[in-house]
Amino acid sequence: MEKILDKFKEFCMQPYDRAVEWKDAEPNRKVIGCIPMYFPEEILHAAGVLPVTLYGSDEPITMGEHHLMNNACHQVRSTFDSLLKGKYDFLDGVAALHVCDQVRFFLEVWQLDHPFPFFHEMWRPYRLDNTNRPFLTSELKRLISHLESFTGTEITIEAIRNSIGIYNESRYMMRKLNDIRRERPGIISASDMVCTVTSSMLIPREEHNQLLRELLSRIDNVLTPEDQRFKMVIIGHLCDAPDEGLLNLIENEGLSLIDDDFITGGRYYAVDVNPDGDPIESFADYYMNMIPCTTYHYVDCWRGDSDKYSPYADYTIDMLKKGQAAGIVILRAMYCDPFDMEFVLLRERLKEENIPFLALFIEKGSGSMEAVRTRVQAFVETL
Amino acid sequence: MRGDGMITAGIDVGSTTTKAVLLGKDGIYSYSVQATGIDIPEATEQVLGESLAQANLSFEDIAGIVSTGYGRISIPFSSQTITEITCNAAGVHHLFPNATLVVDIGGQDSKAIKMDKKGRVRQFAMNDKCAAGTGKFLEVAAQTLRVDVEELGKTSLESKNKITISNTCTVFAQSEIVSLIARKTEKEDIAAALHESIGSRIYGLINSVYPEPKAEIVLTGGVARNIAIVKLLERMTGRMVMVPENPQIVTALGAAILARKVN
Repeated sequence: MEKILDKFKEFCMQPYDRAVEWKDAEPNRKVIGCIPMYFPEEILHAAGVLPVTLYGSDEPITMGEHHLMNNACHQVRSTFDSLLKGKYDFLDGVAALHVCDQVRFFLEVWQLDHPFPFFHEMWRPYRLDNTNRPFLTSELKRLISHLESFTGTEITIEAIRNSIGIYNESRYMMRKLNDIRRERPGIISASDMVCTVTSSMLIPREEHNQLLRELLSRIDNVLTPEDQRFKMVIIGHLCDAPDEGLLNLIENEGLSLIDDDFITGGRYYAVDVNPDGDPIESFADYYMNMIPCTTYHYVDCWRGDSDKYSPYADYTIDMLKKGQAAGIVILRAMYCDPFDMEFVLLRERLKEENIPFLALFIEKGSGSMEAVRTRVQAFVETL
Repeated sequence: MRGDGMITAGIDVGSTTTKAVLLGKDGIYSYSVQATGIDIPEATEQVLGESLAQANLSFEDIAGIVSTGYGRISIPFSSQTITEITCNAAGVHHLFPNATLVVDIGGQDSKAIKMDKKGRVRQFAMNDKCAAGTGKFLEVAAQTLRVDVEELGKTSLESKNKITISNTCTVFAQSEIVSLIARKTEKEDIAAALHESIGSRIYGLINSVYPEPKAEIVLTGGVARNIAIVKLLERMTGRMVMVPENPQIVTALGAAILARKVN
């Protein structure tokens, strides 16, 4: 199991090496970079393209700062920095779902300054209910026809269904691994869990599925000592993978992270796409049934009987109860306005329900780990 | 030997000063404060040695030692390390049993702590990423103004004209002071503006722990000796501010109290 986890970690450390290798193996292969979050990778896969998710990097931002306001989030600035440093030169295109205004504006700068052969921004309604469904399906159709004209090949319904099946299997195995983590705390560290999910978005999915299958077949034989730490769920609306050192610090200071809602975690594998029926409708259902997210609104949010209603708070509290966790660690990415707004409602609910929580402001490459350590230790001392 | 095995020590290694408190059954026996410097083990040995000498005790008389503060892990002889947040709350609870709101302004750290009536920490907030709103801010400002940091508070109270200084960054505030000096602004007015700046930072920190509406503030840490800060916080928050007799050693006192439970 350790060997497979090390492999996942290697993929995360050299995020695009495998994609470049895959592209060079045969002529005319195309790789498209996806900006997190929620882009329908299956459709790219069905077009024969390798989707890789672009997470920026941990390197100091030395070029991106001059092109974007410094109150843009780290993920956006770091991704632009990577672009300017030539790290994305291997890409044939870039694709994104409109999750927030920062992503939208930086993509516009990207397209103007550094146009790629394929550039696609998919619009997803903020308000997810059936009145907007026709718009969502039209956006899915627009993506398919754009990809067809880019690759020169028709994307068949069978191909999409096949891709959905491959991605569903991937999500199923990740959910299973997370179930095992929840039932046997300490069997896999939070940082390994994040690497497992993150690496799936960097290499051909079939290869990742094979490794995950092997990992799951071996995990039952792994012995774990009794975990004396407090069980915690960790949440936060980070668009990139949380810092490995930060997660290890939290776990080394007496908290066992048993579940999360990261896009490089639970948020990514929570919901499957229906492999049967009309794929367009299946993807529309997928977006409609997505777990609560601060970047869009459910129709329930507009019901008007309570200003403080937060489906996101419900979701995280359910996660806590399911794992019988003692509290919640909340990672707040600096300059993430959707989450900042949600956090107000979330904090109120957690206080009402008397749920211990620790909120940490984080920004990669900035801030002191020792200051974080003091906060985590002080939180543990209150439990 | 005194104290029949009940003597405990608390050592608080802060970014600027290291403090030791020796606590017996009947209260504080002795304490010592000195600059932390770069050799933390030496600084802790010195403060502890001095406290022991003052109380006429030896190291063997101590039943337990809890270390706290940023340098807490580098003390080889401590029985346990506990964060300065928990220790500070314990120290304040000992001195003010009904207190539920603490503001501690240290060298490079300021924190607001909300606690319950039993002295347990319920919520806390610390300054993020920046020394604005800490003792360091006043220290840098005092150096630039050529005023003794101990006198800066009193100087500010003599201000006659209201001016404003940015509260976002210690270093930028320093350049702002230099420009104000160049424009012949009175140092009393600059000092008052600096205190306003630190006060608004601390006020923000207090609000972020959602204190009980009428809770009084117990102000600790070296900066609590600054009378201008006390008055300012009273004015800004509309709350009464209480300062312990020796605000700098409250966290070390809390560590010594918690050391009783360790043993």
